[in-house]
Amino acid sequence: MTTPMILGIDSGSRTVTEAEHLLHTVVEVLGLPSDVVGCTHFVSTGMPHVACSVTVPAQVDLALLPEDVSASLGESRTGSDPDGAALAAAAHASRASGRIVMFPGRDELVGTVTVGELVERSAIARVRVLAQPEPADAALAVATNGFVRPVWEDGVMTLLTMPASGGMLMPAEVPNPTPCCGDHG
Amino acid sequence: MSHGHTHPHGHSHDHSHGHSHGHSHDEHGHTHENAADQGDMAPVVDMSIPDSELSPGQVSRRQMFRRAGLLGAGITAAGVLGTPGQAAADSGKSYGRSNCEPRDGYLWLAGDHHIHTQHSSDGMYRVIDHVQHANAYGLDWMVITDHGSVAHAKIGVDKVNPDIVAARKVIKDTLVFQGLEWNIPGAEHGTVFVAPGRNEVATLKEFENSFDGAVKNATASTPQNEALAIAGLNFLAEAVKKRRVDDALFLANHPARKGLDSPHEIRGWRDAQPSIAVGMEGAPGHQAAGIPKPNGPGGGRGFYDSTPSADSWPGYPAESYKTFGGFDWMTSTVGGLWDSLLAEGKTWWITANSDAHTVYQDTSLRGPNSDFEANGRYNDPVYGGGPVLTQGDFWPGYYSRTHVGATDFGYGAVMDAMRAGRIWVDHGGLISGLIVRARTSDTRGVTLGGALHVRQGTKVEVSIEITLANRPNWAQVIPTLARVDVIQGDVTGPASNKDTFTTPKTKVVKSFEVNKNTGTVSFTYKVGAVDRPIYVRLRGTDGNRTAPGLLGASVDPNGPAIDVFGDADPWKDLWFYSNPIWILPRR
Repeated sequence: MTTPMILGIDSGSRTVTEAEHLLHTVVEVLGLPSDVVGCTHFVSTGMPHVACSVTVPAQVDLALLPEDVSASLGESRTGSDPDGAALAAAAHASRASGRIVMFPGRDELVGTVTVGELVERSAIARVRVLAQPEPADAALAVATNGFVRPVWEDGVMTLLTMPASGGMLMPAEVPNPTPCCGDHG
Repeated sequence: MSHGHTHPHGHSHDHSHGHSHGHSHDEHGHTHENAADQGDMAPVVDMSIPDSELSPGQVSRRQMFRRAGLLGAGITAAGVLGTPGQAAADSGKSYGRSNCEPRDGYLWLAGDHHIHTQHSSDGMYRVIDHVQHANAYGLDWMVITDHGSVAHAKIGVDKVNPDIVAARKVIKDTLVFQGLEWNIPGAEHGTVFVAPGRNEVATLKEFENSFDGAVKNATASTPQNEALAIAGLNFLAEAVKKRRVDDALFLANHPARKGLDSPHEIRGWRDAQPSIAVGMEGAPGHQAAGIPKPNGPGGGRGFYDSTPSADSWPGYPAESYKTFGGFDWMTSTVGGLWDSLLAEGKTWWITANSDAHTVYQDTSLRGPNSDFEANGRYNDPVYGGGPVLTQGDFWPGYYSRTHVGATDFGYGAVMDAMRAGRIWVDHGGLISGLIVRARTSDTRGVTLGGALHVRQGTKVEVSIEITLANRPNWAQVIPTLARVDVIQGDVTGPASNKDTFTTPKTKVVKSFEVNKNTGTVSFTYKVGAVDRPIYVRLRGTDGNRTAPGLLGASVDPNGPAIDVFGDADPWKDLWFYSNPIWILPRR
């Protein structure tokens, strides 16, 4: 009865920031619980853009979605362009790809935590260090910068990290990256 | 051999000894002795030698001349290149900053093809600010590459030109090209530049208005936009063919930074116009960006701090968004994307540049009360009173250098050298000179960018002569070269998948320990009897930071380490890279 399903949503966001905003909006209008898993996915239906997926209870009223949002849930499709939403939902279901914005334990990951604590306190199952074949040392500190976005890798919710100052690790995704034609001053 | 390098050279006026004349003799002499050197023009213009006998670089050059209608018109090598001997009689001619004497037949001229001025929305300096600094820091040539934009296409592209022309007159021993940092449709940024001349501005302006991704709203990664990029390269080739400009080149900048340059796009550019699209930045600029806070920006070295976007090519691994020893992942990965191109026999060269917008520790500020959109430029910078520590760039020539082996000190010769791949790059003055020859016992052989054609089974060796740093860099340190690695790969032919970004048969085959910073060192790498087509390239390091390569320790046991975010002092992690030489046995 309450088997969770995966809802794909798409409003043609060009950036992950816009897509995250959509995710939050949808979670709010649908009144979803705080332990959902919500992701962003790159899709190339038409113009390359970012669609989203989120776990929902079996019964959810798609009529509550904002007008410009296309959606895919099981066999049903709504909105003007649901293909991206369907791709997002499928990627999430197979855990083949996607970047995870919402996940259980996310609120626990602030400040500096160890690799071990990160796995213990949240749905993140694995921490990988870029350019390092060995698994991350559980005792190593991770400076979260309050911004933790794991990804689906080999079907496992994995946080990619990289070496940071002070002998610590930090998530490989840096918040507020340098814009394309940025003002570096 | 080395002493010409080790004593400091002042301005060209100190040198009136007509070396150019001697040099031209040298060149002329071996042109006829050795038809294998792609740097030599003879085989390129000798139509009795079929295309199939030429190196990829020679074929590119021949195609360029063919398009330009220059072949079959009775031209000679000297006719195309001009007569260098005459240059010696040209009184007052300058010979560049870094080298006054030819080595191995070439003037090795240091330069930078990626520099922004007050005509970029994220820039601030005058042209002359950059040219004066570049000249002081020893650059012989430089390219002004302001960002393509609506304001630049409309106003800046015109306004920057008189400043460049004026700088050329004031600073005679640094060549100043006008270029553009092209927003490649569907991809990253790239340097486009042309040889100075009557139509230089008109050509650049038409190019920008017709093909810039920002101007044309064509940055998204779509097939249509990818096609527009190719059309842009075709436009440049046509401009050269019709002699609207004497020459034009394109190089991809910070290619892996945001995952925007897919392997098939890079192959597409190169294959569409191999004489125009000649390479990419092996190392990005912004090398001060990783200096730790509070003394520096504390960011990612090269401002490589991005992750995938909707326009990124999805096949790239997360590592590709980072730098390794200051170099872009495409270049720093032994057996990686660059090697996959070289293994196809594709000529594709690497460079290293400043990407200077706003300079680390500089005390000036962007001109106040500016209206960039209306004026196409910011007002001139003003003195700010204190060093700005959050800026991540070095002045041109201060840290990153692209050394090209030119037949002469001139605009055309620099562009020819780049097209031929006679290029090596260094950071922080790690070494001062690099002479490489692949040769057999009875030939002088070929240098960087060339292809040595030998009979099957011929024994080949690669001679390496390195002029060590010998003098302090701009951090007032004489860097020590710890080690030189020889990287060798099999040429396996065209890749069936245009998105290939690895090649299995490339690895470090030999390392030479050096641990010195004065004098010269020479090594010989014995390739042995060559039974299959291969290529060889070099890499060297100060040895401060190494790690097994991304494709394993068996491929690269001591490669560059991933740069630490927020703690990557560029002066403590120095590398040089050479471009390749191919060794091709005849069947």
